[in-house]
Amino acid sequence: MVAKLILLARLSGLARRWQVMVYVSFGAAVGMAVVVARIANAPSYLSDTPQACINCHVMTDAYASWQRGSHSRVAVCTDCHVPHSNPVAKLTYKATDGLKHSYVFTVRQEPQVLRLSERAVPVVQANCTRCHGAQLMMVRLVSSSRRTCWDCHSNIHGSVRSLSASPGVLRPQLPAAGLSWLKKGIEP
Amino acid sequence: MTANAKSEGSESRPLDKLPVPLWIAAIIILLVAAVVVLLGLLAVSIMERRWEAQRPVVVLRPLGPWEPNNAVWGQNYPRQYESYLKSRISDTETKFAGSFPRDYLEEDPYQVILYAGTGFWRDYIQARGHYWSLTDVVRTKRTDQPFVAATCWTCKSTDVPRLMHEMGVRRFYAANFHDLKAEMRHPVGCQDCHDPNTLNLRITRPAVAEAFEVMGRDINDVTHQEMRSLVCAQCHVEYYFVTNERHRMKDYLRLPWAKGRSVEEMLAYYEQINFHDYIHAISQTPIVKSQHPDYEMYLTGIHSYRDVACADCHMPYRTQGGMKFTDHHVQSPLLNIANSCAVCHRWSEDQIQTRVEAIQTKVHDAMLVAEEALVRAHFDIAAAIQAGATQEQLARPRRFLRQAQFRWDYVSSNNGMGFHSPQESMRILGDSANQAQQVRLLVARLLAEKQIAAPPRYPDVSTRRKAEAIVNAFMQGEAIKLLP
Repeated sequence: MVAKLILLARLSGLARRWQVMVYVSFGAAVGMAVVVARIANAPSYLSDTPQACINCHVMTDAYASWQRGSHSRVAVCTDCHVPHSNPVAKLTYKATDGLKHSYVFTVRQEPQVLRLSERAVPVVQANCTRCHGAQLMMVRLVSSSRRTCWDCHSNIHGSVRSLSASPGVLRPQLPAAGLSWLKKGIEP
Repeated sequence: MTANAKSEGSESRPLDKLPVPLWIAAIIILLVAAVVVLLGLLAVSIMERRWEAQRPVVVLRPLGPWEPNNAVWGQNYPRQYESYLKSRISDTETKFAGSFPRDYLEEDPYQVILYAGTGFWRDYIQARGHYWSLTDVVRTKRTDQPFVAATCWTCKSTDVPRLMHEMGVRRFYAANFHDLKAEMRHPVGCQDCHDPNTLNLRITRPAVAEAFEVMGRDINDVTHQEMRSLVCAQCHVEYYFVTNERHRMKDYLRLPWAKGRSVEEMLAYYEQINFHDYIHAISQTPIVKSQHPDYEMYLTGIHSYRDVACADCHMPYRTQGGMKFTDHHVQSPLLNIANSCAVCHRWSEDQIQTRVEAIQTKVHDAMLVAEEALVRAHFDIAAAIQAGATQEQLARPRRFLRQAQFRWDYVSSNNGMGFHSPQESMRILGDSANQAQQVRLLVARLLAEKQIAAPPRYPDVSTRRKAEAIVNAFMQGEAIKLLP
């Protein structure tokens, strides 16, 4: 779509100065996008580091309870919360989920107590059994019921859960939004 | 091929001469401008959220030591103040409470009989949110007498700490309620629980601090988590007024905790000091009116045992962007299950609500059973009086009735219909009904001695109007004839 518009602009019978303006405006948009990507710490979303999940404040409690729990020694957020059947499924899921999260947080519609969405339930359950499968071989009901692991093991993220459950100080600081040499410049 | 290409080339004009209209360029520029604006807004939103987390509090206006005006505090703490203002909402209704002027006497005419002799039989309306504390205390008929102790203002206004400081606590209590009306301008709010400089929780009402002293504890030597209940316990407790020796008026606010904080220990204390609030108009029994002992009841419940404070359910934490704050819209947790109960209890909201209401309904049922026994017991004693029983003969049944009624009232006047401690509520109501039936047993024997075997003719008190007519008759000495 955008490429087509650029083509139209190039093909148009516009005066040169109009064409220049079109290019300038595109440049402004791209520049702005770079700035937003920088302050939103956007490249981190391509990685699997847990710090990427606390770029916004909603996941602070999830992060703090994970980090102080047993799972932090063997698994990171994405090990449980995105599918691992194939790379395409993983990236698609990450992208759609991430966009949904950023939309909800930007329009301030986040609930105080987070619950797994319907489509996340099978994903997390599959990831539980991905590691703990061997332990389940002797559990008779595991395949015959719709129970999930966390129906009983409900304290994976601690027994109290709310956006406010952990103090903010328990989370690592976000990296500075500007560039470090810019900051050095204004220090007295 | 070559000819073809050549002919095409000769037909085509230079690229920048193709006839595409000017408006397309304009549209492109507008579209890109819109994109830039949206990106800019997103960037601002991200930066604001970062800023919030780094600088949570900015004091714009330093507060004086007794600042009573909640709006002034609100300039410094807008999130808390905005949520506090929601306590203005007075049309929320849960099954047994909520924040609206529910008329208890219309819903439960037995209470007209049980409170006959104190102001509650004339006017007993459910209190609304903190925002309405001044309006509601002035409006009730219970303060509609020439002299009412100013003690009744104690829990109604943020102007009280200032006045107590200026007048002295004893003089404040001894004043006339109506004389201080002009001073009371701000409803229950910020200063009642917070230190204006540090924002720490603090106790501003002397009664609960004095009660702690009597128990040998210092109320300032408690954990922050305890404080998150104790600031509520400044008012949401059982209390009575000590008689002022000079004026012969009841005015000094005291909590009956000297022997302990269970219902039995408080009753024992009231027996020891021989206290009563009113003489019952029908049975002439000296009655102690229980006053919303919410804190004491909570102390016996599971949530207290697990160190969950009042504020955890009634003022749950919220996170807005990067800011964590306490929701100052104090209300029934049933109106905000997602933020209160669901933090620990991970069932659906429907399941939680059903469970809570099931508990409350059982307590309510037991309460009505106790009420029926109590109402009959009052009429039984009145019948014995009409049969010529002596004061000595009636002393024992009256003592039982007084205890039975306090136990019932202890649960009935509690907020939450027993949910603060379901088992304790049921235990107390069971004791109450049992004691009330014992009264009836004793009176039946008294009547039997006087050769009266048939039961008294209990009047119809099934509506508020009918119940009021009966009470009025007893009060004017034209008691209806109860003996068969």
